[in-house]
Amino acid sequence: MSQRKLTRRDFLKFAGTSLAAASAAGLLGSCGPNATPAPASPTQAAKATPVASVAPSQAAAKPTAAPAKGKTLVVAIQAFAHDAMKPVLSAWEAKTGNKVSLESGPATGQEMMTKYAPPFQSGTSPVDVLSVDDVSGPAFARAGWLMPLDDIIPQETWKDFPEGMLPPVDKDYFHSYNGKRYRVPHEFAVGYFWYRRDWFEEKKVSVPKTWDEFVTVGKAFTKDGVWGTTEGMKKPGLTFVYLAYLTAQTGGDIFKFDDATAQAFQFAYDLIYTHKIMPETVLAEDYTQQNDRYMKDTVAMMRQWPYFWDVARGNTAWYKEGRADIALPPAGPAGPKTWYGGWGWSVPKAAPNPEEAKDLIAWITSNANAPTLAKGQSWFVMPRKSILDAMGNTGLPVYMNQYTKAGCLVPRPYHPKQSDAETVVDDVGQLFLTKQMSLADAMKAGRERIAALG
Amino acid sequence: MAQMAAGKGATMDGQGRRKRRGRGTSLAGQRYLAAVLLLVPAVALRLFTAFYPFVHTFYLALTNYNPAFPPAQFIGFGNLKRMATDAAVTSSIAFTILFVLISTLLELVLGLAVGSLLNKPFKGRGVARAANLIPWAMPMVVCALGFRWMFDGDYGIFPDLIWRVSGLRFPWLINSWGSRAAVIITNVWKSTPFLGLVFLAALQGVPAELYEAARVDGANAWQSFRSVTLPLLLPQATTMGLFMLVWQLASFDLIYTMTGGGPGFATQVLAYNIYQAAFGGLNFGYASAISLALFAVVFVMGGLGLLLYRRVEVMF
Repeated sequence: MSQRKLTRRDFLKFAGTSLAAASAAGLLGSCGPNATPAPASPTQAAKATPVASVAPSQAAAKPTAAPAKGKTLVVAIQAFAHDAMKPVLSAWEAKTGNKVSLESGPATGQEMMTKYAPPFQSGTSPVDVLSVDDVSGPAFARAGWLMPLDDIIPQETWKDFPEGMLPPVDKDYFHSYNGKRYRVPHEFAVGYFWYRRDWFEEKKVSVPKTWDEFVTVGKAFTKDGVWGTTEGMKKPGLTFVYLAYLTAQTGGDIFKFDDATAQAFQFAYDLIYTHKIMPETVLAEDYTQQNDRYMKDTVAMMRQWPYFWDVARGNTAWYKEGRADIALPPAGPAGPKTWYGGWGWSVPKAAPNPEEAKDLIAWITSNANAPTLAKGQSWFVMPRKSILDAMGNTGLPVYMNQYTKAGCLVPRPYHPKQSDAETVVDDVGQLFLTKQMSLADAMKAGRERIAALG
Repeated sequence: MAQMAAGKGATMDGQGRRKRRGRGTSLAGQRYLAAVLLLVPAVALRLFTAFYPFVHTFYLALTNYNPAFPPAQFIGFGNLKRMATDAAVTSSIAFTILFVLISTLLELVLGLAVGSLLNKPFKGRGVARAANLIPWAMPMVVCALGFRWMFDGDYGIFPDLIWRVSGLRFPWLINSWGSRAAVIITNVWKSTPFLGLVFLAALQGVPAELYEAARVDGANAWQSFRSVTLPLLLPQATTMGLFMLVWQLASFDLIYTMTGGGPGFATQVLAYNIYQAAFGGLNFGYASAISLALFAVVFVMGGLGLLLYRRVEVMF
């Protein structure tokens, strides 16, 4: 029996054949209907369509096609919110005959992008309804990966939000792009000012109302392992949060790195190195470590998100009345300010069950169900009329009202390239706060890097 | 005669060699076809998962492709120019090289020390050998989280021990060089056990007679190590060094979890830059350009490593 060896020429021949086959397969794959066209650019849209009126569409939401029965939809939201979702979802299941499977969603914008950009880019979606944040939501909307919701969500739901929380739809913002809304907020994230009322009463110290008082009170508490204040400023993202909070109090535009922003940066630096009321290690700590410091009785005051309400009260071994109270934030040059943002519901354009997803998102965000969610988890508490009417003068809505009436709330700083812009603030802020760069150089570097984003 | 010997239907060339005709019909041809068919799927898969993505990445690197800001435009070397002036990228190229060189060197030295120790006979050696692998078995994310707490300026065990011994407090994760040292220490702690295991296996292949001969010649422990152990282990050390060098160039999880690239961008590595560009801002074009920069670093370092390996091979 003769044997023929595989020669180098033969190997190169069939390798070339394989390469051609692989390239052809790749080309054929990319030519499929998977690519989702992005919405027209704003200039094109402006030429083609008159700018939408200031108020949301006056037409009632178009009735969606009746959802089919027997389907299983996937809803992705952070795990701690699942229990609060279950009663609302069970009712929808009973109404429609469909099932809902809850999936744990990421906790940060960058993780959202990491997890969902690849499937969305390829024209598929692992979820039907998704909770998106302020960073990923606008990016997904711009890329054409989300369904417009104007005709899906009824008018009564849009009108349940306070004026100002949903800017005019023709303004590109966290919830809207190119004249359409892509997200229904379900979270009202305010950087509240938390403090140890028990310690303040014991020392007979008043809650600080200005930056100067904040420093004075902080110094009164800082000793023997206790700090006046703390924060979580680890990269990515958390440095931006705190510096934007201080910049709101100076009235600056953080993405412009203006003089008021420089003032905010300098105040953060002084808290750590000049007044020494905040540990420098906060620059490498996250919110878990921040909360841990507070609940280990080593911090007198701090800025933290609303979820700390449940975290503190859930720590039954530690929590007592007066240990985690909320007051208005200390006033900087522009007053007692704090910025708000939040997560919201969206439907991916490539949702596996689009008609059912439309029905589900309308159900979850309805005026009837929003209070149920808010009562189940403080993360869902928002200044929606339906929620405030239902929850009355209890819990977080009390402070939400207080902050609103005092004019404390400013919207989150917005940039079309939100993630990149926040990264610039993170990088530059940390370079300055770790003494790797002077303030002047930091502001200059910030301006240059923001300009380079285009 | 020759033609008869060759077989019916065969023709002969000028040198009397049999020319093939009707390859697909002969047994040799069928076996050849079978070999090709069996190999094509594996080769095609490899080419599709490696060659095609590389070509596509190269193409994307020449564009400003961002799905949130269409349309993609060809910008030539625009991304390269941007990288040259992007302090985060230039800093991360430098730290990536520093990170892998120092980590690899320490892992080789400590791995050899661990392997030598575990090769000695002592009570509980089996348990020690098993325990040695624990760091290697732990997920890097878990290690990074743990070490982040251990290096914390207020809560961390390391700063506390240093303070108790010396009275000095050092903010590891806030200082640019401190944070770089912290991530390198974590990386070395995690990877050394694997090298220890490799060197242990290599040491067990060293003939005992060589050590006896060295002892007879009057060599002490260090001289035996230097003259017997090291030369015989050098090929493995070079191979493992090259392997670790190239492997660690793609480190991401340690940096992401432990420092997020901070403070500033002191501990950013190229893989982290790629991730941030691609999944932070959907800047796929720019991320592809940074990927090519990482490829260039891998190519150069891998090439230098191979040259060194060949030299060692020639020596031994």
